[in-house]
Amino acid sequence: MAALSEVEGHDSSEVKLSMNPILGVKNLTKKFGGFTAADDISFNLFEGEILGLLGPNGAGKTTIIQMLLGVMEPTAGVIQYFGKNFKKYREEILKQVNYSSTYISLPWLFTVAESLEFFARLYEVDDRKKKITKLVAEFEIENLYHKQYYMLSAGEKTRVLLAKAFLNYPKIILLDEPTASLDVEIAVKVREFLKKEKSQYNVSMLFTSHNMAEVEEMCDRVIILKSGKIIAEDKPENLAKKITACQVELVITDDAQKAESFLTAKKVPFEKDRFRFIVSLEEKNIADFLVLLTAEKIAYEEISINKPDLEDYFLKMIELKT
Amino acid sequence: MINVNRVKAMLLRYAYNMRHSFDRLTDMFYWPAMDLLIWGLTGFYFIKSSAEFSSLLFVILSGLIFWLVVWRTQYEITTNMLSEIWDKNIVNIFASPLKISEWIAAFMVFGITKMFISLTFSSILAFVLFKLNVFLYGFYLIPLIVNLILTGWAAGFFVAGFLVRFGNTIQTLAWAGVYLIAPFSAIFYPITILPTWAQKISQFVPSSYVFEGIREILFTGHLSTDKIIASLALNLIYLILSICFFTFMFHKSRKLGLGRLIQ
Repeated sequence: MAALSEVEGHDSSEVKLSMNPILGVKNLTKKFGGFTAADDISFNLFEGEILGLLGPNGAGKTTIIQMLLGVMEPTAGVIQYFGKNFKKYREEILKQVNYSSTYISLPWLFTVAESLEFFARLYEVDDRKKKITKLVAEFEIENLYHKQYYMLSAGEKTRVLLAKAFLNYPKIILLDEPTASLDVEIAVKVREFLKKEKSQYNVSMLFTSHNMAEVEEMCDRVIILKSGKIIAEDKPENLAKKITACQVELVITDDAQKAESFLTAKKVPFEKDRFRFIVSLEEKNIADFLVLLTAEKIAYEEISINKPDLEDYFLKMIELKT
Repeated sequence: MINVNRVKAMLLRYAYNMRHSFDRLTDMFYWPAMDLLIWGLTGFYFIKSSAEFSSLLFVILSGLIFWLVVWRTQYEITTNMLSEIWDKNIVNIFASPLKISEWIAAFMVFGITKMFISLTFSSILAFVLFKLNVFLYGFYLIPLIVNLILTGWAAGFFVAGFLVRFGNTIQTLAWAGVYLIAPFSAIFYPITILPTWAQKISQFVPSSYVFEGIREILFTGHLSTDKIIASLALNLIYLILSICFFTFMFHKSRKLGLGRLIQ
């Protein structure tokens, strides 16, 4: 695994986790004819780490997850779990891996109890009754236990899928939008559960989500994909820091015309919506800017300063980088 | 190595499916019963019309009952395979340690189980309604049924190979595919009535030897072992080829991604 820990783009010094790459992906490529869905993807997932996989639709997230699950064959590249080649040790590896996705389903006519029983048997879970009871309580699906899958709401289905994903005490779990379609309260509980699994059992997770706040909260590290390629990889807070400009939002009513002339003259980038000005400034220049406004006798009624976050970085990356 | 626990899990999965599906539960009884009634009564009518047709009733009923073995064993493979696509479950099962050999084993065992239930039901019905006792075939029943099971499996895996590659866009093959061999199997009539070109095809259809054998037993009380051996040899070749084909098509499908089958 020495070679895989040196995979391009991964700054191992940044990750304060166990240094054992539990999943190593090197030069993973998937081509469909002339179209490249995943292009030379390399990354590591470490023990106890939550790694976010972000990208717009069509970026290659699902393709990568399918290859990591063994339900799609890569055109090129190597996948190693626990230091073992996935292709060679598929059966042994998949006993310790599981996944959940909003885009899949469980057998339509099965009750929740039957689905969990079936998958527990498929994964040969020894204490399956105990494990099922525990997960059913964790995901608050006791009242759904004897309901058929097709009768559940989208949020209920997501919870059942998550319970299925934790049946086999996985060491690695791949979560494709795990909290999509959950209401806020349940989503919070699910995130707490995932954090607990990580801290108590050192479970590693590969996590995709369109909710950037959730990714910032959950992920130790983030990979951003665009057109099948990795375009950025770092801790969420480090990625956000790469955007230095803050958004200063001012409400100026009496001196709006004056403020507009001033900003234009000073060549400060801004957006204006009637009396609301959004000015982009480096954090260190905000104090000087406000002093200048006061000196120009431009009064503002409201002010708010928005620091850049992962979403700003993500939007910038997917718009600008090709 | 096949993991028996995972095969059992898959059997449980298909048993749950059957429990919840009225179609899957009733098709073991409804269609065989309807076939027996309609064709049994038709045969009965012929007998009453002319003494020439005295053996026709048993020929038809035997054909119906034994064709059920082929139909049921192939149908359980193709429809259970399709159920993983309909239920969007195929990614779930192959993201687990399940191997294709275990999936194949589960199809075979489940198909045989349902086939025996259906066969028992049809045999009892044929006895009650038309006094046909399938045990009149004695120990010949074993090689006859074994051969027909092998034919059903071979047809099932061949069709399932297309289904796993192309998905539910060609799902009609799941229930109609096996009928391609039915005319050449000579289920109700001797091979000699087929045109010469069709007779040549029949020589390569293992079930044709079985149905010829059934009529031989009915008319002479004996079964020539040549027929059984020819059928068995063809069946073994076809079964091996069909499983290889199914596995090959599965890997072709996995190359493109099993996820696309459920989109």
